[in-house]
This record gives sequence, C-alpha cells and structure tokens, in this order.
Amino acid sequence: MPQPVQYRGMSLIIPDNDTEWKEFYAHARAHRLVVRKCAACGLLRYPPTHACPWCMALGWSWREVSGRGTIYSYEIVHHAIQPGFRELTPYAVVLVELDEQRGQPTPDESLRIIGNLLRPDLTPEADAEVAIGRRVRVVFQDLADHLALPQFTLTDEPPQGRVWRLPG
Amino acid sequence: MKTLRDKYCIVGVGETEYSRASNRTTRAMAVEAVRHAILDAGLTARDIDGMLDYQGGDSTLANHVAPDLGIRLNFYMDVMGGGSSTEALIGLAMGAIEAGMCQTVAIYRSMNGYSEFRIGGTGARAAQPVRGLDLAQVPFGMRSAGQNFAPTFLRHMYEYGTTSEQVAHVKAAHSKHASQNPKALLKERVTVADVVGSRWIVTPLHLLDCCLETDNATCVIVTSAERARACRPRPVHIMGVAGRVSKPRLDFHWAHGPITRVAGYYAKDIVFGQAGIGPDDVDLTGSYDAFTFTTMLQLEEYGFCKKGEGGQYVGSGVIELGGRRPNNTSGGHLCEGYTHGMSMVIENVRQLRGTVDDYCPKAAEGVHTYDYAPGGCRQVKDAEIAMNLGWAMPPLGSALILRR
Ligand SMILES: [Zn+2]
Repeated sequence: MPQPVQYRGMSLIIPDNDTEWKEFYAHARAHRLVVRKCAACGLLRYPPTHACPWCMALGWSWREVSGRGTIYSYEIVHHAIQPGFRELTPYAVVLVELDEQRGQPTPDESLRIIGNLLRPDLTPEADAEVAIGRRVRVVFQDLADHLALPQFTLTDEPPQGRVWRLPG
Repeated sequence: MKTLRDKYCIVGVGETEYSRASNRTTRAMAVEAVRHAILDAGLTARDIDGMLDYQGGDSTLANHVAPDLGIRLNFYMDVMGGGSSTEALIGLAMGAIEAGMCQTVAIYRSMNGYSEFRIGGTGARAAQPVRGLDLAQVPFGMRSAGQNFAPTFLRHMYEYGTTSEQVAHVKAAHSKHASQNPKALLKERVTVADVVGSRWIVTPLHLLDCCLETDNATCVIVTSAERARACRPRPVHIMGVAGRVSKPRLDFHWAHGPITRVAGYYAKDIVFGQAGIGPDDVDLTGSYDAFTFTTMLQLEEYGFCKKGEGGQYVGSGVIELGGRRPNNTSGGHLCEGYTHGMSMVIENVRQLRGTVDDYCPKAAEGVHTYDYAPGGCRQVKDAEIAMNLGWAMPPLGSALILRR
C-alpha cells in the first residue's frame, strides 16, 4: 500500500484495495478529471461508486470530463476546523456543477463536485470573487506521485444564469 | 398506512446538567440520566428490560450502563448516529416491544461533546485519517457540520431570497426561551443584530447561528400505552414517527437536487400519515437547531409554511413563546445545550404534561403564569400536540408527533 499522503495535517489514505478512488487519483495525477460511466445506461456518476445509482448495473468505465462547470453553491470558511487550514482562511469551498450531463436524468440531477476555489497558482481566490453562477475550470494540485486533488479556478467565460454572492 | 398511533407512550424523561466541563465519564452521565428517567416514570430498574443508545464512537455502550443500575436486559442495541437518532430509536423501541422482545425501553445519549470529543470537529476529530467517501469533501477543508451544510443554506438564500436577518430570529427566539429555562447553558437573550453582528464561522453562518458544544446525557423511556397507565406522570402518546428518512444519493446528496430540499420532504407524509393530522394541528415544535438555518429549513419542508417562505415564517414571531407555534421552548441546541436531539423530545414531553421546569414556583405541580418574561414562565398554555423534527444533515432526518 502506498504511504498515506500528508496534506495540511491530514493523512489521506488510498489503499491498494480502494476500488473506488485509487484509479481516480491516478488519473488526477495525470491531470485528467474522470468520472464513472455506466456500461448499461451510459449515465455518468461522481463520486466513484461500485454500482450505478440509476440502473444498479456493475459494469463501468472511466470517462474523462472537460472539468468545466459553474459554481452551484459555495461557502467561505473563516474559522478553520482543521489546524492545517488556519493559514488559508478565509478560503472558499465551491460546489461545482459540471457541464456534462446537466439536468439529467431528471431536471434536479447533475454531476456536481466539491473543491476549493483557487487562483491558477493554487493560492486561495479572493472571497469577493466567489459567486454562484460564475464559470470555473478544473486545476490539479499535485500532492504525491499517486495523488493530485482536483481543484477549481475561475475562467473568463460569461456566467451561467444569475450571478449572486452573499452580500457583505 | 400501518399505524401504531397512541399505542405507545413516553413515560419517563431525564437528563444531567448541561455543562462544558462534566469532569466525568460518559458512563457516569448515562447512568445518571437513565436513573432520572426511571424515577421520573415512577418505575424501578426491574421494570426496564430494553435499552437503545446512539453514539459516534464517543460514548459508553448499553452493556456497561444497564448493569450499573442493576438492569437486566432482554433487548438492547447500540446504534451509530447523531442528530435524528432520538426519533428513530423511539420508533425502534416501539417495534421491539411490538415484536415481543421486551416491554419497556430506555433510550439514552451521553456525550462529553465539549470536553472530550468535540462535536464541532476540532481536536481529535480533525486529526482522523481521511479515506473512502470522506475524500470527496474533507481534503478541501470541509469537515465540520457547519462546513457540510453551508452550501445548502447559501443556495436557499440564492433561490428564495432568504436573509441572514430572517434566520437570526431563530436564535433570538430560542434565547428568549432559554431565559426561562434554569437548565440552559446560555440564558442571556440576544437580538437579531447580535446574531448578524457576530463573527463569521463559515458563510452564511455567524457564530451565533451555531449551536453549543455541550457535555450532557439524556434519556427517554418508551412503553406500551397499557403499561403507561400505571406510571406516575401523565402519559404522552406517540401518534407517529419517521426514522432517518433519506433523500436519494445519501452518499453525496449534492448530486440530487434541489439541494435546498431536506429529508422532511419524504418524512412528512409518513409521520403525518400515521398521526392522521396536519401541520395546523400542531401546537409546538422542536425543529432541530444545530444551526438557525436547520430549524427554518425543516419547518418549511414539513409544511408549516410554503417552501421557500421559511425565512419569513421564522421571522414572523410565530416560533416564539406566546406565538402561534413556539419552537424549541427550552432554548434548544442553540441555547440550552447540544444533545443530538434528545433534549428537544424531553422538552416536548414536559410541555405536554404541563409541568415544564421553568421559574414558576409551582411548575412541578403544573401551575404556571404563562407570562413569558425573562426568568419567568415557558409553559405553552393547553399544549396538546407537539412535533419533533430531527436533523442529521440536509438529506437525512426523523420526525415524531406526540400528544398528551
Ligand atoms: Zn446505469
């Protein structure tokens, strides 16, 4: 088993038998964002799960996605819980709706993923820049030979829908 | 729909002091809370033959608590869970009795939620290794309950125009209630301005939007309505219960929107269906207040107001003592102390008995002034039906309807 990866005071553990995450992170380390595609119904899903939540089929393959999406919701953490995040505060956590499979298979469902909103140099984005509706793309934060975290950064594409951030 | 309406009762309730330094074990606290509930019911250790408890690796299990009081069990389970477990275990207790496994069940939660295993996630919890599904959130500095729920709350503001000031009324109301509760950790009344003026924890949550980590143990005792008639207090009947009802994709609920929809969307038909009543029939509520927003979200999802109008509803005065349907008359988790939900059921039981432990000199005899001034009364006049809305997280919750 690869050594746990130390990141901001946390031990990130991906054992060899982690059939959900191990290959996901290997792809991420090669700077590819992948999700699982069901072999039966073709729907994409994240996070990686063993069976398809729509048709229960077990067959799947990795499918690379564009890594582009829209901020669906967010939070600005001012009081860090994990000691390793204190120096980052205030930092933004974003819930990103990816462009692939929006509103499918039902209007309320989408491929959504959590990450931090960072500048292209991987430092935290200014909190005044964080808003629902703004467009983002994936960037990768390399942590070890076998692991990179998918993160997000703002793009200059026009926003999707109403742009809104918490006043104040 | 199958219903056991009114066939089971809560006959005993008890707790330990709410503090931030219990200086004792969760075993000692659990034993004391269970003992208080047994005495409250007018029962003895021999009358208890079932036990249920919930915990998150932070408490003492039933096999150490029951024998300490001389209780021999015919049934027990230790369940992993936090908020929303109380209501679910009340339903399981009814099921165990109905199945003939036992006759009277004590349900407890004991935690040093401040001094030992901090519920807010600092300390030992923050140092836990991250693996499996946690990898989807925790590496991004999203670990505490507030951090896990904040995008739901913020999206509600975006979709419905809900404001910080509206939601702050929940804290103001609960602080008003706590000022009439001798047990409460925070008895001082606060204003909406105090809440929105307090420092940010994680947007849109200010410090005073968040509950209090607390050391405490709580217990309720469930038995059949038949046995309840022999107990000392006026029995409180269970009209309906829904336990740990989930939204789709509980693994990663963000995948299934609208994310502003909470589990009550699915639980309400179960619990109201069993009880044969609707929201208008409910006299008081215990909508879980881990955060001000959770109270608001659940009240609207269960139909006490229209979806999206929760902000206006909680800001209207209706949830305050003296209002049409007070919520968390003890001060709840925001002010009385944090117990993972059990204290809110205890409060509603006492309200329905008419013997809430406020500052009225003859409160224990059911004599109240109904004057809701600080340091005064917090008994709801003629309360007949109370409801608990238990919350674990946006996609997971429980509900309970009680009547006197
Ligand atoms: Zn499928």
